[in-house]
Amino acid sequence: MIRNLFLVYGLAVLSALSLAEYRGWSLNRVDEVPNVPKSVRDNPGSYRSVYGYYHHYTGGK
Amino acid sequence: MSSSGPTPAGTPQVKALNCPSCGAALTLRSFSQAVTIVCDHCHSILDAQDPRLKILQKFNVETGEDPPLIPLGTRGNIRGTQYEVIGFQRRTIRVDGIPYSWHEYLLFNPFKGFRYLTEYQGHWNDVSVLRALPIWTPGATTLNYLGETYRAFQTATAETSYVLGEFPWQVRVGESAQVSDFISPPRVISGEKTGNEVTWSMGEYLTGRDVWKIFKLDGDPPEAIGVYENQPSPLIADVKAIWTLAGAFLVALVVLIIVFFSMARDEQVLAKSYEFNTNVKSEASFVTEVFELSGRTSDVELATTASVDNNWIYFNYALINEDTGQAYDFGREVSYYHGYDSDGSWTEGSQSDSVTIPSVPPGHYYLRVEPESDYYRGTIYYSFTLRRDVPQVSFFGIAALALLIPAGLITWKSMNFEHLRWAESDYGSDDDSGSSDSNDDDQQYPDRPISLGIADEDNSE
Repeated sequence: MIRNLFLVYGLAVLSALSLAEYRGWSLNRVDEVPNVPKSVRDNPGSYRSVYGYYHHYTGGK
Repeated sequence: MSSSGPTPAGTPQVKALNCPSCGAALTLRSFSQAVTIVCDHCHSILDAQDPRLKILQKFNVETGEDPPLIPLGTRGNIRGTQYEVIGFQRRTIRVDGIPYSWHEYLLFNPFKGFRYLTEYQGHWNDVSVLRALPIWTPGATTLNYLGETYRAFQTATAETSYVLGEFPWQVRVGESAQVSDFISPPRVISGEKTGNEVTWSMGEYLTGRDVWKIFKLDGDPPEAIGVYENQPSPLIADVKAIWTLAGAFLVALVVLIIVFFSMARDEQVLAKSYEFNTNVKSEASFVTEVFELSGRTSDVELATTASVDNNWIYFNYALINEDTGQAYDFGREVSYYHGYDSDGSWTEGSQSDSVTIPSVPPGHYYLRVEPESDYYRGTIYYSFTLRRDVPQVSFFGIAALALLIPAGLITWKSMNFEHLRWAESDYGSDDDSGSSDSNDDDQQYPDRPISLGIADEDNSE
């Protein structure tokens, strides 16, 4: 029983891995923004990233 | 002497007698095989070979009642032969003054003879006397029987503390024997030494459900508590198979690594270098030229390096599809600090960073970049590289862990089962804290500090 479960589980792991590699999945978080106007190329400052106003840690150790 | 009533043809006859002590009716099931018979009313032990049923011993005052889970007279089919329960005894050992008892059921078939069932806290054994002597040197920790090696488990002195029914030997309450167990789960070989005579028997583990099914008993059997000495590990067979499977999966994983790394295009599509003057307050954002991401939908890796030294730079990135207007928006910080304090030198962060943008469809793209940092920190030089279809090593690592962790857990569970088994043994390993006389062990497994011969103990007294 456990053997069969592990067989199915292992195949699922390898299948998921193959799909992830093939489709180019990533562990990084990236936001998708639709319909960015073409005018951004002419006026890059008009685009405001959702990551703007980032508060940085600058103190070091 | 009286008859017990009509008996179906073909079944063993039952002979009925009366107890000379209390006058209660006695039932004799094993005919002339019985040497002693115990009155189930007054618990007098009687000489079954004597026509007048001479009283050999009275013990009811000391022991009280201990009703058998399988009533005397119950019949069940074991290995194709019908046996009847004709005797019942409780045997007890004492560890640190604490009594531990188990139960033995004597089974009889007029053609096959006797066998036993033993029970300790829901663990059962089907026991029969060996017909050949095992190969064993007194004091040795292993024993060989029919080519199979058995490991010594425990030795103790067991005392009969309660009897009921009939027995093919001169049973007495208070009689004792030294019992040694050697195990090879699911079997146990027990040597029972009385005087200079040793009787060897073999037990095979049964669950309570097996016993209830054999004797067609009502209700549910008592739940098994703990791990018994010859209880087969439910996982031991699986462990080897699972590691074999895990090994096969890891080989397949390596093959997949080779396949994906050889098939990955890992194509550089853009490499640029810039500088960011933090002394100038002006619009810092800009866009790159348009470049093409070709092939199937796959990832894009953006690697950034910056000449930060006890400083930071942050990038608002947007990878924008010029054709569809779809943007992948993300921010990355590159910061690097170092110094020296009372603990010595230290560093924090790095001058490089890498991020993978998942599942980017093919098309024409440009990158919008907006650097920011503290003002008046001079000029920061930075560069970035975009690569298409880069294999993700992290997924292979996660897959390897995902395969190894369950196999490890099952192995650990199996090892823990063996640990619990050998923790009760005289011969447990150091890791098992093997000795049963350890206080810690007694506290951890207070209900079964030791076990014996063809049965176990019980502290139900």
